[in-house]
Amino acid sequence: MMRRTLLLLAAAATAFAQAPDCSLVPGWTQHGDARSFTADNLFEYMDGNAEGYLAYHFVGMQGVNCRSGEDTLVFDVSQMESAEWAYGMFTSNRDPRAPVEKIGTEAQIVPRRAILVKDKYFVEIGSSRELPDVLRRFMQAMDKRISGASEPPEALTWFPTEKLVPGSVRLVPESVLGMRALRRGYVGEYDFGKAFLVEETSPESAAEVMNKVRARLGATLPIAVADEGFVANDKYLGRLCFFRKGRMIGGFTGLVEGADAAAVAGRLAERVK
Amino acid sequence: MKSSRRNFLATGLAFPAAGLAFPRPMGTPLAPSTAPAAPGKLVYRTLGKTGLKLTSVGFGCMITSDASVIERAADAGINYFDTARGYQGGNNERMVGAALKSKRAQVHISTKTGAKDKAGALANLDTSLTELGTDYVDIWYLHGKGTAAAITDELLDAQQTAKKAGKIRFAGVSLHTGHAEVIPAAIQSGKIDVILISHNYTLKDTHDELIAQAAAAGLGVVAMKVMAGGAHSVQVKRPGAMGAALRWVLKNPNIGTTIPSTTDMDQFEDNFKCMPAKFTDEDEKLLAAHLERIGPIYCRMCGLCNGTCRKGLPVADLIRFATYADGYGQFGLGREQFRGLPDGVTIIRCGDCSACTVKCPHGVHVAERVSRAQELFG
Repeated sequence: MMRRTLLLLAAAATAFAQAPDCSLVPGWTQHGDARSFTADNLFEYMDGNAEGYLAYHFVGMQGVNCRSGEDTLVFDVSQMESAEWAYGMFTSNRDPRAPVEKIGTEAQIVPRRAILVKDKYFVEIGSSRELPDVLRRFMQAMDKRISGASEPPEALTWFPTEKLVPGSVRLVPESVLGMRALRRGYVGEYDFGKAFLVEETSPESAAEVMNKVRARLGATLPIAVADEGFVANDKYLGRLCFFRKGRMIGGFTGLVEGADAAAVAGRLAERVK
Repeated sequence: MKSSRRNFLATGLAFPAAGLAFPRPMGTPLAPSTAPAAPGKLVYRTLGKTGLKLTSVGFGCMITSDASVIERAADAGINYFDTARGYQGGNNERMVGAALKSKRAQVHISTKTGAKDKAGALANLDTSLTELGTDYVDIWYLHGKGTAAAITDELLDAQQTAKKAGKIRFAGVSLHTGHAEVIPAAIQSGKIDVILISHNYTLKDTHDELIAQAAAAGLGVVAMKVMAGGAHSVQVKRPGAMGAALRWVLKNPNIGTTIPSTTDMDQFEDNFKCMPAKFTDEDEKLLAAHLERIGPIYCRMCGLCNGTCRKGLPVADLIRFATYADGYGQFGLGREQFRGLPDGVTIIRCGDCSACTVKCPHGVHVAERVSRAQELFG
């Protein structure tokens, strides 16, 4: 409770500096009152989508509507507990089929919607019609307005780039691969399977999680990767391999015929720090 | 050699040490692990006049962590899956579609649109169908309508157009608040087949009569937020409590099905087991203890106190503002919201009345909490 209270107080102190502002782009003015929400009442605004934010450790949101002639924008800035959670929120919401741009940490602009992540902030703008250039200008202005880190989480660099589907790496906030034991982590799509990385608090707790996963999967077979590893087949996850390197757990699921589980797991394990 | 769990384990014992060379050629299929058997008995209910026979526990996909959980649920016999256009920027519909692609004929899918006009709603629907990889959805909800006015003729018309085009089978409305206003409006419209409502033990019997009216009118009633997730900060977290909360909802026979948001396999299995289970005294005790703790302070936003203050105070809002300060350390936010109220409201003090006319059906100490807001921010 104390931690939450401190976070919220800190959020309140800094929130205004990152607030959305219609005047960031000439010709646009605020229409109606500004709005603000916390985790407690976000559902009043999102009304059906709030859990999608809360899952990424949402702290607060400020929003305005902007108008220019007949065109309108819905402009919201959410603060998450950390830059990593904000990045996770971005990866959850970006369209993996569309390109991202280097604005802030990353941004994605499609004809009627733009999202951006920078530091602890996740920015969203929806437009009443296709206005990609306007959306881009707003995002560039928000990039300047938001101070703080603009590098993606280090974990992204651990995924080998060869055969990695661009834009596919995302943060799963809980239950990676649908298993509660894998509390949270990153997944990325390769053309030969899906990679995952989960960070535990210690090598001992990671070893315990490996045991839980083995028990869940039933039949597993050991392989020589990092500190420990195994392969298995699962009806839903397909051919899979797990490894543990210190407190990190990683591996692949859905490996296609011919993919060498030990080799691909080994390449991933090598990059993990 | 025919694969079996037994001979596979025997093979494993022959190579006990991790770190040895891989004991069989890579790519040689291992025995697939057995798919978990259905973790309980399936129970079906009929969803109003739609005639849909749905498992009493469905599947809310919004925060599902992996498509494999949805696939497993469908294989276990769960036959109702709910998503929305807006979830995860559209990525959720794509995941649901991929997971259920080979099972479309065996399952019922609902999605939702948050669009405000007919053209936008129909465009949303076409996108939903593309992302879900299907020609139709079973239920298409107007998403999050908290007032009767939000269910416009234009949106109802969009649903009828979609029905005629065969893109949806049934028209629905979803709501988290405003039950007392929206449910009668949905009934009176004559065009809504299903309502998707937040319903959980924190609301006690507040909406039972409205739910009964909807059921009597032939509307299917689907319950969401069954674990009180909308008010996540007060969600009960004790072991066994999630099941108790779900069983509490299922004891109402007018609820056609439920869509607990299901993250992982463990939760799915817990939910599944609730289908045939009865709500027990133990469940009652567990939930009652939690309610005892939150009861006097937590506003359920049921709206039943609207208009009951003789001085015209927005009671639910004021209680919420006090909670910002007392519960979440957000004094500034509470004060900001309080100051946003009309001047005529901010100068009223509860102490001006000899007795309070507002009676909260959930036991919130209204006068005390509203006075607290006035003391803090006034």
